[in-house]
Amino acid sequence: MGEVEELLTKKVADRYLKREVLGEGTYGVVFKAIDTKTGQTVAIKKIRIGKQKEGVNFTALREIKLLKELKDPNIIELIDAFPHKENLHLVFEFMETDLEAVIRDRNIVLSPADIKSFLQMTLKGLAFCHKKWVLHRDMKPNNLLIGPTGQLKLADFGLARIFGSPDRRFTHQVFARWYRAPELLFGAKQYGPGVDVWAAACIFAELLLRRPFLQGNSDIDQLGKIFAAFGTPKPTQWPDMIYLPDYVEYQYVPGQPLRTLFPMASDDTLDLLSKMFMYDPKSRISAQEALEHRYFTSGPLPTEPVSLPRPPPKKESKASDFNIQDGPTVLSPPRKSRRVMPNRDGPEGSANHVHRIDDHGNERLAGGERSEHAPMSLDFSIFGMKPPVRPTINSADRTHLKRKLDLEFQGPEEQ
Amino acid sequence: MAANFWTSTQQKQLLDAEEVDVVHQVDKEMGFTLEDCKLIKMHMANYIARLAQNVKVRQRVVATAVTYMRRVYTRKSMTEYDPRLVAPTCLYLASKAEESTVQARLLVFYIKKLHSDEKYRFEIKEILEMEMKILEALNYYLVVYHPYRALSQLLQDAGMSDATQLAWGLVNDTYKMDLILIHPPHLIALACIYVASVLKDKENTTWFEELRVDMNVVKNIAMEILDFYDSHKMITEERVHLAMHKLGFKQ
Repeated sequence: MGEVEELLTKKVADRYLKREVLGEGTYGVVFKAIDTKTGQTVAIKKIRIGKQKEGVNFTALREIKLLKELKDPNIIELIDAFPHKENLHLVFEFMETDLEAVIRDRNIVLSPADIKSFLQMTLKGLAFCHKKWVLHRDMKPNNLLIGPTGQLKLADFGLARIFGSPDRRFTHQVFARWYRAPELLFGAKQYGPGVDVWAAACIFAELLLRRPFLQGNSDIDQLGKIFAAFGTPKPTQWPDMIYLPDYVEYQYVPGQPLRTLFPMASDDTLDLLSKMFMYDPKSRISAQEALEHRYFTSGPLPTEPVSLPRPPPKKESKASDFNIQDGPTVLSPPRKSRRVMPNRDGPEGSANHVHRIDDHGNERLAGGERSEHAPMSLDFSIFGMKPPVRPTINSADRTHLKRKLDLEFQGPEEQ
Repeated sequence: MAANFWTSTQQKQLLDAEEVDVVHQVDKEMGFTLEDCKLIKMHMANYIARLAQNVKVRQRVVATAVTYMRRVYTRKSMTEYDPRLVAPTCLYLASKAEESTVQARLLVFYIKKLHSDEKYRFEIKEILEMEMKILEALNYYLVVYHPYRALSQLLQDAGMSDATQLAWGLVNDTYKMDLILIHPPHLIALACIYVASVLKDKENTTWFEELRVDMNVVKNIAMEILDFYDSHKMITEERVHLAMHKLGFKQ
């Protein structure tokens, strides 16, 4: 690797200030971090490769590949990716919570308009994936993340695949069982976007009931639960069913009227739900058609995302802000973070562009253009344990300071 | 054809010929000419195809691997990114991205089988390290659309299914050139059909005219393909060898 490149890599890693661990993902640790370039809070997935015999994890590669193509307000954004110390780091926008936390929080009341809003955002994200020929294949409430402005975004594309080559056979071992469509439970190898729509229907039902709708404890039991709810499908309802690889005949049970399963739901709700829960994937409504269903245009209209109820933010950030041991760590040698950063706001001192240096010569971040993220500002002065490192001024800083001095003579300038 | 090429990152990344025909400064200093670079890339495309035959992956994986390799060299030099390592690593990465993973040790086995030359031999560790560098060089963009899907549909539509094998072979050969970095895949497919119809003396001007595509672009691509076949006759083992020789020894 050339020297210049090495420097660049370090600089990229230097860009993010590591914060607390958020959780253990499918293929590595996820931690919170601050992007010093934008002041934005991000979530970084660290994928270990150093010890892997097969290089970059296959699941991670899938996620990278698809998320690079899928840019949509209702799909999690992959902001950046970089290798660092034998790990591949994926930088995502930071999301506060997920739909599962919302559904489980007993203190939250979900109005019909709130449910409509959550479902609409889910279907929008899904319709976008399907338009791009991507199947998500792992739709469930805790993969639907919710951002600081209430935006719901599809995440975790580790199981997602590009479809559209008719000859390709897929595994049916996808989705958490409770969200698995009947064709998958019957072992279908060739399936389409309908599997995601079925899962979205399960999520819709879960929003209405505030508990998972069809909780099977085995694949057989899952089908039993589905049939107990909607009735055993007749060949007229789903002609291709009997040709599916794992098809077994189930004893006929009549379904229950949706009205009894969801007593509080409106007629439009039930109509859309029944279309999303169609047995035959060929007649199941598509995500795009579902968005055009009158459920979304009849009253009450979907709640604005920003007004949606959310669980109270976890206390973690405050606590760790003042916890010396948990203080921000830097991905590259810590000394680097203490370097004086060029003061970019110039003499015009624009209030919305702050990058200050505090008394100890330590860097302080407060927002930048994204002043709404201001609470994420870092104050190193509170980490009094380690003696502050003497600031060094590099040549870039010097030129910047020089320019700043020049500017002061010239007076404020338009940006 | 995949309906979404137009919104894909590949569409946004299409380059001008001048951006593809680059000799990086370090390579110039090593004495590489544009012609050398083209020869090496062609030689490596062939190498990828031969490796792929051994490890048994689909043509699509080969096409993606060659595209990765060509994209890498629009940004990186041959001096710093040894083609003899980049080529198999691109195949390794493409096999993962196209969902038909090939084990690194299998690849290393066949590299050794195909080449007695020490300069081609690399360890698993080196391939895995290069995988990371290639991912970076590609800026993590891994989805590539190819002319194949459009090809079969268009051939059927043109009533030229009998020319499938010929046209398919022509498309395969376009990967010996940089066309996939410059043109949308369906236009490459059309150009190959155009060449095939000329070769087969099939008159289908009306069919082409009814397509809503810029036939001048299609004809230009077709001309490039024909030019390539012409110049290909002049490419000798010797010339490839001389170009490869400039790469020097493995450090």
